[in-house]
Amino acid sequence: MKRKRIVCVALSLMLVLSLAGFTGCGKKSASNGELNIFTWTEYVPESVVEDFEKEYGIKVNWTTFSSNEDMLAKVKTESAGTYDIVQPSDYMVEQMISQDMLMELDKDVITNIENIDSAYINPSYDPGNKYSVPYQGGVAAIAVNTDKVSKEITSYDDLFSEDLKGSIVALDDYRAVIGMTARSMGYSMNETDTDKLAKIEEKLLKLKDNVKVYDSDSPKNSLISGDCTVGYCWAAEIALAQEENPAIKIVFPKEGPYVFMDNWAVLKTAKNSENAMKFINYMLDSETSQKVSEEFPYLNPNAKAVEALGDEYKSNEAKNPPADVIASGEYVSNLDTDTLAIYDAMWTKLKK
Amino acid sequence: MTKHRFKSKTLPAISMVGPVTIWLLVFVAAPLVYVFIMSFCGLDEFYNVSYHFTLNNYKRLADSNYVDIYLHSLIIALTTTVVCILLAYPFAYIIARTKSRKKNLLYMLVIIPFWTNSLIRIYGWRSLLGTNGWINTFLMNLHLISEPIDFLYKQGTTIFGMVYCLFPFMVLPLYTAIEKLDGSLLEASADLGAKGPKTFFNVILPLTSGGIFSGSIMVFIPCLGYFFVADILGGGNSDVIGNLVERQFQSGNNWPLGAALSIILILVTLILVKIYQKLGGDMDSLGV
Amino acid sequence: MKKRTKRKLKKIFSIIFCSLIYLFLFAPIIYIVVNSFNATRSKPYLSWKGFSFDWYVKLFDNQTLLQSFGNTMIIAITSMILATIIGTLASVGMYKFKFKGKAAIDGLLYIPVVIPEIVLGIALLTLFSNINIPRGMLTLIIAHTTFCVPFVIFNVRARLGGYDMSIEEASMDLGAGRIRTFFEITLPVLAPGIGGGALLAFTLSIDDVIISYFVNGQTKTFPLKVYESIRSGVAPDVNALSTLILIGTTVLVILTQSGLIKKLLKKA
Repeated sequence: MKRKRIVCVALSLMLVLSLAGFTGCGKKSASNGELNIFTWTEYVPESVVEDFEKEYGIKVNWTTFSSNEDMLAKVKTESAGTYDIVQPSDYMVEQMISQDMLMELDKDVITNIENIDSAYINPSYDPGNKYSVPYQGGVAAIAVNTDKVSKEITSYDDLFSEDLKGSIVALDDYRAVIGMTARSMGYSMNETDTDKLAKIEEKLLKLKDNVKVYDSDSPKNSLISGDCTVGYCWAAEIALAQEENPAIKIVFPKEGPYVFMDNWAVLKTAKNSENAMKFINYMLDSETSQKVSEEFPYLNPNAKAVEALGDEYKSNEAKNPPADVIASGEYVSNLDTDTLAIYDAMWTKLKK
Repeated sequence: MTKHRFKSKTLPAISMVGPVTIWLLVFVAAPLVYVFIMSFCGLDEFYNVSYHFTLNNYKRLADSNYVDIYLHSLIIALTTTVVCILLAYPFAYIIARTKSRKKNLLYMLVIIPFWTNSLIRIYGWRSLLGTNGWINTFLMNLHLISEPIDFLYKQGTTIFGMVYCLFPFMVLPLYTAIEKLDGSLLEASADLGAKGPKTFFNVILPLTSGGIFSGSIMVFIPCLGYFFVADILGGGNSDVIGNLVERQFQSGNNWPLGAALSIILILVTLILVKIYQKLGGDMDSLGV
Repeated sequence: MKKRTKRKLKKIFSIIFCSLIYLFLFAPIIYIVVNSFNATRSKPYLSWKGFSFDWYVKLFDNQTLLQSFGNTMIIAITSMILATIIGTLASVGMYKFKFKGKAAIDGLLYIPVVIPEIVLGIALLTLFSNINIPRGMLTLIIAHTTFCVPFVIFNVRARLGGYDMSIEEASMDLGAGRIRTFFEITLPVLAPGIGGGALLAFTLSIDDVIISYFVNGQTKTFPLKVYESIRSGVAPDVNALSTLILIGTTVLVILTQSGLIKKLLKKA
């Protein structure tokens, strides 16, 4: 008897819920086709994508990833044509070019490329910008909640101090964290020497007690909520955390930070390549770029947009890291599979 | 004669059992066989699977770092199971043997949370347990503590989350087992002079042991694979085997290694099921 | 006197203990409901900024969230129907007929139930990737049906235990064909088991995270959308949707408890 009742309840419930569910299925019709984009989390404003959809009549299917390696893994395993546009970082562009995964950009459509500052055009990882255009970049810096932390922090090395037990939110990215450890010892972010790697591992494990959370998607949440008082995160996340809690300050490490530049690229197997080119051109438009930096204030290589953003952006160190900081930093570069296996083993050891 | 036999015996049998057989072979047996084969494969320089036999994956997984993680996962799973038993048994006992008219309602109240998305409930706990979350704010306002307690992102938090998610899986089999208890046996035991604890250990416990066993299996095994609980509440600090597997299929880009890890998981599961059967567990009571 | 106080103490202890357990079960749900009325606009949406229905309104603008919910419903219903059909036929077939390989099928059935979901998830991903089926709605439905079928079978089997097949023989002796017998005799007897199995299948499907995580491709299901939101900070419109689902569920339970639905069904 009891069972029968429960079954009746459930069946009627299912009916109600499915009716409700079908309301959500009223898709807007796309008159000009679709576009599948694959971007970093917390990197592209929803309003920007919605405006693109309205202006061009193209329906955008949007998926996100948290690290370059995640992105590469998904692109390789999903069937061809699942994604049209991806957002690789500098070294990942290089790797994808070498694996012949990217489509050459149609410069006739992407005219807004002229907006990009000359310092970021023609990078070493993609000479002539044949396959990619820069989107936003920045550094991985240190966040300090000055209300809660009395210790003075000026370098990556300080993050290993015993005073910071259980207080750090760190990026969930093995190249970023291992690279940071290497730089704190004066080594390169892309170290291959096995002796040096052994020393790096020794130091890396000291971080275990200090890191409370690993989060690449939204480390600012832990800082704002007070769960963590120190952070090793993307600079824009620190800038946004600062807006919620002015006690949170940004610190550029003495050793020179981890620097990155993220780019738009089109996959060779893209099914909507025309729409993809239009999208990239749209994103390079200075007004769009301005909106992007207003919501996710990273280093903006779009010179026209930077002018429009004005002093509020230009003078904010967290949003617009000073040129000398960038010059003192280092980019991640590609490593051979054997070395990467060592890195992977280190990472597993750290997180167990 | 044979034609009639085919029509009346074989054809209906095939048409009824055929679909499920084909489905199981294609979607359960074949994939698992493939995973087994892949666990002996390697990777080429482009992170694609290369079909050359190698024991490298297993060698790598025998490394002490990985063994530490297996032990760690087993401890988490064991602790979760024990906590579940300790909490669920008295709870199920009280509810199953209550003479209140609200018995049905009480039973439903255990199931209703199930109908809210489990991820968002875990997220709810993360918000409640945060440094500035409700619990800490509540305790501080009552001046019971002066500094917020650090609940989150510890091993204990992961266990707490696992217990929360898997609690119903322990309660339901126990409830069924306890409900079947014949009240007259308990009366007889009391009549014969046995006090509370003696009756419990000699009568109630043995009779409900089946429920405890099937509940334990339904809690322990999923624990090993629940990577999202370790992710959300553990802060990425207390990985279980499931996290390792997930990583190899995502950023690690190493499917063969992930496959080998899965084979290890399957072996652990098989061992546990064998133990369960040896202890007299009934396979049919799982999953009902 | 002593025995009565002992019994009273026991009762009080039981009530406190059970209440604490229920509080434990419902605490995060209470939080979710309350936070759905939070007027906050800024991530991570944790601090209380005032009471407001804003997010309920915003919910209906959130196309992707509603669509993910719609997807989950479609997948759940389809998988439930498929699993129920396959499972019921199989249970009856296995009960009636003797043949070799029954034990093997039995063994295969336990696998999706017993092994950790993540193993089934990656195994299916590997299969789909190798025979080149694009991951999406189809693969989700296949995957969900796969883990639902065993549960349907176990439930129907429980109902079959003690089923006297002579009724069917009688029916066929009276001239009803095999198929008619199945629909008019067998199924009604099995109905509670089938219903229970279907319900379980539906419940498991709408809440599935791990298996969906691997085989979903670009299709978002509601749990996966929630997982995605957790990474950036769950906006209260997700809370709002969860609250609405919860209200719907609770209302139906209350109605059945008060016998209203039963009365309505009796009248029908």
